[in-house]
Amino acid sequence: MKILVVAEMQLGKLKPSNGAAVRFAQDLAAKTGGSFDIVLIGHGLADLAAGLNKYGAGALHVIDAPRFENYLPGSFCAAVVGLVQAEGYTAVIGGEATTSRDIFPRIAGALGAGMCKGVSAIVDAGGGVAYQRAVFSGMALRTERIHTPIHVLTVDPTAVGEPAEGPAGAVKAFAAPGGDDDSVKFVERRRAESGRPDLAVAERVVGAGRGIKSADYLETIGTLADKLGAAIGSTRAVVDAGWLPNEFQVGQTGKAIAPKLYLAIGISGAVQHSAGIRGAKTIVAINKDPEAPIFKIADVGIVADLFDVVPKLIEKI
Amino acid sequence: MKVLVTVKPVADPNTPPAAWIAAQQGKPTGEVNHVANYFDLIAVEQAIRLKDVGVDDICIVSITGDDKMAQVRSAIAMGANRAILIDPEGKALEWHQIAAALKHVVEQEQPAFVLMGKQATDDDASQVGSILAGMLGWPQATFVSEMEFNADRTRVKVGRETDEGVEVLDVKLPAVITCDLRLNEPRYATLPNLIKSKKAPLERFKFSELGIAADPQVTVEGFALPAGRSGECRMVKDADELVGVLKEMKLV
Ligand SMILES: Cc1cc2nc3c(=O)[nH]c(=O)nc-3n(C[C@H](O)[C@H](O)[C@H](O)COP(=O)(O)OP(=O)(O)OC[C@H]3O[C@@H](n4cnc5c(N)ncnc54)[C@H](O)[C@@H]3O)c2cc1C
Ligand SMILES: Nc1ncnc2c1ncn2[C@@H]1O[C@H](COP(=O)(O)O)[C@@H](O)[C@H]1O
Repeated sequence: MKILVVAEMQLGKLKPSNGAAVRFAQDLAAKTGGSFDIVLIGHGLADLAAGLNKYGAGALHVIDAPRFENYLPGSFCAAVVGLVQAEGYTAVIGGEATTSRDIFPRIAGALGAGMCKGVSAIVDAGGGVAYQRAVFSGMALRTERIHTPIHVLTVDPTAVGEPAEGPAGAVKAFAAPGGDDDSVKFVERRRAESGRPDLAVAERVVGAGRGIKSADYLETIGTLADKLGAAIGSTRAVVDAGWLPNEFQVGQTGKAIAPKLYLAIGISGAVQHSAGIRGAKTIVAINKDPEAPIFKIADVGIVADLFDVVPKLIEKI
Repeated sequence: MKVLVTVKPVADPNTPPAAWIAAQQGKPTGEVNHVANYFDLIAVEQAIRLKDVGVDDICIVSITGDDKMAQVRSAIAMGANRAILIDPEGKALEWHQIAAALKHVVEQEQPAFVLMGKQATDDDASQVGSILAGMLGWPQATFVSEMEFNADRTRVKVGRETDEGVEVLDVKLPAVITCDLRLNEPRYATLPNLIKSKKAPLERFKFSELGIAADPQVTVEGFALPAGRSGECRMVKDADELVGVLKEMKLV
């Protein structure tokens, strides 16, 4: 297959999920006897482009114009579709994240191509390939086969490893079709700065659930997180209560994470939350209810009052 | 203002995965209850709340068989005016086909905008909204948790939930808008409204009448259960022992 990886940016930096997309492209190229290129879209990209051009891609396309300063689905979709058609790509791959979730189905629709979202593995299927992905809150895996000439895929970063390094490819500027368009305008971004590691890729995550009782206790949770060098994650219950903003939510409808250590504090372990921590290496649960479902997926557990245990952990770690 | 709201009946999220898989494979199983997709109920609730800004015709659209009528009915009973049902005639339709069927309805109805759930909790695909917007050539705003219309209702300012915080966009109508959890808390349908909803006008089509390519772009090849986690949970008695175990595992 002739593969195009669509790299994503996050607040002016390359997004960690790009690594999984490149790795999946490398594997798919090896399996189908193909090759892969990468495209980066934005404005003022010269420095970032270099950081992407170390994985053995044939080419690194750069689409750089003032109108791509902020991500917007319509214009970014038109740019990718224009490049796919100009170069004749047969697969378009991105890392699973909120931007790819927004734009990839639109790209697939515009190309008349079938799409699989959040794929975790390539499966041999009668001479061709099929893709495995988690469905139903991660409680089942499903193998899906795409029948169109072009395959559109987003890749689950918690299921796919790091890309191999390789020589730099030719850097090519691509003049994307389309012009200024006022149908969607970027207004602003509201974001809480924590100074802690990025939840999506942190090696350690302290997860806070409704058991912490109030937003006030987040200060103590933060102290523990800082002792561990951890990011803070949370459940929907905590986000709904307004104790933390939405980008902290882990689970089926939040982020999927795969840290080495997930410390679940006062979290019941509902399927929708568990869906997001399936990839964690070690799950440690602190919950006063011995029947809490979190203990079914935890590796280490303690049945105790978190208000008693957490201060002791802070003291002893 | 007329609004289309899409509703997909899905398996109850608490269904045991093996039973869900069996049902997906067409094996008879009594264990699977269906509910309206929760994100779609948020979309219905939002439409109802937008009566204040001039929404006076809420039309539910669902592509589903008659056996899931109760789930669609529960959505109508929240406060919709009418519904359009498209019978898939027993076929498993994929996202592109669903979007194509919705496009057909949008062209017939010409709503001011389409409200949808951000994802179906069975497929977890999050595809149909963006495909539909692309097919229509309409702007899209996905994962929306805030909506505010301008004075002449030609544009809507939305807050979108993203990995990097809330992104505020100003979107021209008509558009496709998909709803996230924080947009609202859907109301329950009351019994009197459930009874009343049986009188709501219902228009029916068959998928095969819509002239959409019958061949799916994506097919399901099989299912598996994910490998379980390591197994037993090692229980510790106090914070001291917990720290000891974490050190032993080289996690702290
Ligand atoms: C469509 C849909 C999508 C959803 N998506 C997500 C998602 O992406 N992510 C997500 O997290 N949820 C999601 N949910 C919500 C999910 O179903 C649960 O409601 C939520 O995860 C529960 O959060 P919690 O564990 O913090 O709260 P609870 O379930 O209330 O659990 C609190 C826990 O704290 C324990 N506790 C209380 N006090 C103490 C104490 N002093 N010491 C120790 N333990 C204590 C209790 O025993 C309990 O187990 C979704 C729901 C729906 C319907
Ligand atoms: N069969 C269907 N009938 C009506 N709406 C649907 C159907 N399938 C999907 N949708 C809508 O598309 C949204 C996203 O679904 P999905 O892309 O499958 O995750 C859902 O929240 C529904 O609003």
